[in-house]
Amino acid sequence: MFQSIAGKANLEKADLEPALKALKDRLMTKNVAEEIAEKLCESVAFSLEGKKLASFTRISSTVQTAMEEALVRILTPKRSIDILRDVHVAKEQRKPYVVVFVGVNGVGKSTNLAKVAYWLQQHDINVMMAACDTFRSGAVEQLRTHARRLQIPIFEKGYEKDPAVVAKEAIQEATRNGSDVVLVDTAGRMQDNEPLMRALSKLIYVNSPDLVLFVGEALVGNDAVDQLSKFNQKLADLSPSPSPRLIDGILLTKFDTIDDKVGAALSMVYISGAPVMFVGCGQSYTDLKKLNVKSIVKTLLK
Amino acid sequence: MVLGELGGSITRALQAMSNATIIDEDVLNECLKQITRALLQHDVHIKLVHNLQTNIKNIVNLHELAAGHNKRKIIQQAIFNELCKMLDPGKPSFTPKKGKPSVVMFVGLQGSGKTTSCTKYAYHHQKKGWKPALVCADTFRAGAFDQLKQNATKANIPFYGSYTESDPLKIAVEGVETFKKENCDLIIVDTSGRHKQQKDLFEEMRQVAEATKPDLVIFVMDSSIGQAAFDQAEAFKESVAVGAVIVTKMDGHAKGGGALSAVAATKSPVIYIGTGEHMDDFEVFDVKPFVSRLLGMGDWSGLMNK
Ligand SMILES: Nc1nc2c(ncn2[C@@H]2O[C@H](COP(=O)(O)OP(=O)(O)OP(=O)(O)O)[C@@H](O)[C@H]2O)c(=O)[nH]1
Ligand SMILES: Nc1nc2c(ncn2[C@@H]2O[C@H](COP(=O)(O)OP(=O)(O)OP(=O)(O)O)[C@@H](O)[C@H]2O)c(=O)[nH]1
Ligand SMILES: [Mg+2]
Ligand SMILES: [Mg+2]
Repeated sequence: MFQSIAGKANLEKADLEPALKALKDRLMTKNVAEEIAEKLCESVAFSLEGKKLASFTRISSTVQTAMEEALVRILTPKRSIDILRDVHVAKEQRKPYVVVFVGVNGVGKSTNLAKVAYWLQQHDINVMMAACDTFRSGAVEQLRTHARRLQIPIFEKGYEKDPAVVAKEAIQEATRNGSDVVLVDTAGRMQDNEPLMRALSKLIYVNSPDLVLFVGEALVGNDAVDQLSKFNQKLADLSPSPSPRLIDGILLTKFDTIDDKVGAALSMVYISGAPVMFVGCGQSYTDLKKLNVKSIVKTLLK
Repeated sequence: MVLGELGGSITRALQAMSNATIIDEDVLNECLKQITRALLQHDVHIKLVHNLQTNIKNIVNLHELAAGHNKRKIIQQAIFNELCKMLDPGKPSFTPKKGKPSVVMFVGLQGSGKTTSCTKYAYHHQKKGWKPALVCADTFRAGAFDQLKQNATKANIPFYGSYTESDPLKIAVEGVETFKKENCDLIIVDTSGRHKQQKDLFEEMRQVAEATKPDLVIFVMDSSIGQAAFDQAEAFKESVAVGAVIVTKMDGHAKGGGALSAVAATKSPVIYIGTGEHMDDFEVFDVKPFVSRLLGMGDWSGLMNK
């Protein structure tokens, strides 16, 4: 489809356009948000414009290589977080390591909180759960069921309590009973819902957790961009603190539902700069993995 | 509703075309390019978008248009027809009748909003004098029965379920029988979330449908779903007789274009939308007024009745 123009002086925008358009389409087929696919293609075009094409290469493969490099660069975490190490540091300081799970409704916060609890247990870490979704029907019983199955203590105060206060009491309890980690479940909320976002930033402000984990589902389309940017923006704008806490990392769920449409991973990391720390890929406790950057990039470009 | 933005983008693209002095291939292509982009930003499945593009191009053969014809009108009509085809499956869904027992089964992906929408659907009908009942055939998700029970109790709707029974088939059948005896006219069966890659769970869903013989199967989907919507919806349709769609979480920012794709894949209409977490955050959805609202500005009105 794209002819070779080896030997031609310098690459111009018009030479790159057909290959970039095809690539943008491919990324969107894989569920990369339109805005992100567009920006990526622009940056690839920018990096190639004016460059000489190596002899005997096609424009399409030059573009593909440049894109591959860009994707690896974006998906490889710039700040790395080693939870296990940080948990041990906190332990030496005799305070529990606190993780807050946040995200929109139904993405898998509570289920994946239980998976993370199981994973920590496997590393001989004492975990406690805090049932701070005091709103959604069945949320407390849901977490209690996981706690019972995993034989993990749970701190709960039923429904309609202020979640920020429940979290605070949970952390105090954990300090008393020597738990290493507190996993705080929160209610799902839409990124545009100002009162609920305000309540979340209060919870984070009051409890200064060690890790704010954004839970997002791999099924999400263009909304991925809006979810992450608004969560960060609202956490910044609505916090009483002059230096508010933002999203530290991403937990990507429902990876088992999407076949090769892995684009949400890219959209989320691109827009937030936060690393994907865990990937949920099923409904049992063992279905928690690390992100495989190579395989994501390969799938995106296939 | 946010989907309305799509109408705005499309109208703008056509306006730009209308402003061009001559409509040639370039103008048409530019217009289609903008429409394509708007659809993709709204999560409409990329295959559908490409089909739409090709179909419009085929209908609007610029060279064959005899001089004097109103090209603009023809292009508009083509776009309008293609969008309608995508949104409107052309056949209405089964509508339960008050006083006559109907079984309605809710299915969908994990976390899409089935349990919440079940209660909203029951409550919506109860307010109009129906006698609804809820059956919790989700024996898998932790806290599923508590969730349904607490919702049903709030709305004062009878419910059926079990903390100990692990077979959803058994509960579904028993629940439906119980409420038929109690003369409920709207028996709603909530099921666990599942996805097409889980073959055994799809088989389980098929069996629940076979045993409870629902008059209507409602596919519940989250408005924020992206390109995976089409394949998943299609797989549900292939396993059970999906007859209608409910799109949830329309109070968020998501553009709901995945819904357009799901409609196409299930060949079923969207009948309600969820607009919040509370019981009455639920709206009737009618395709025709929606299409006219989507495109019902100025120039479009003339096309509506054709
Ligand atoms: N297939 C699959 N399902 C998942 C995964 N993670 C969670 N789920 C399912 O998604 C559904 C919703 O999960 P929850 O953990 O309740 O989600 P949540 O974000 O806590 O929901 P809310 O608290 O209501 O906002 C449940 O049916 C889970 O079993 C995953 O990685 N893969
Ligand atoms: N904002 C908003 N949230 C909704 C809406 N519908 C459902 N939810 C929320 O979405 C989350 C998941 O809803 P559920 O009803 O538990 O979803 P489900 O499909 O039954 O989930 P599984 O049974 O685990 O597959 C809950 O937090 C609900 O409160 C809606 O229209 N708007
Ligand atoms: Mg939850
Ligand atoms: Mg449910």
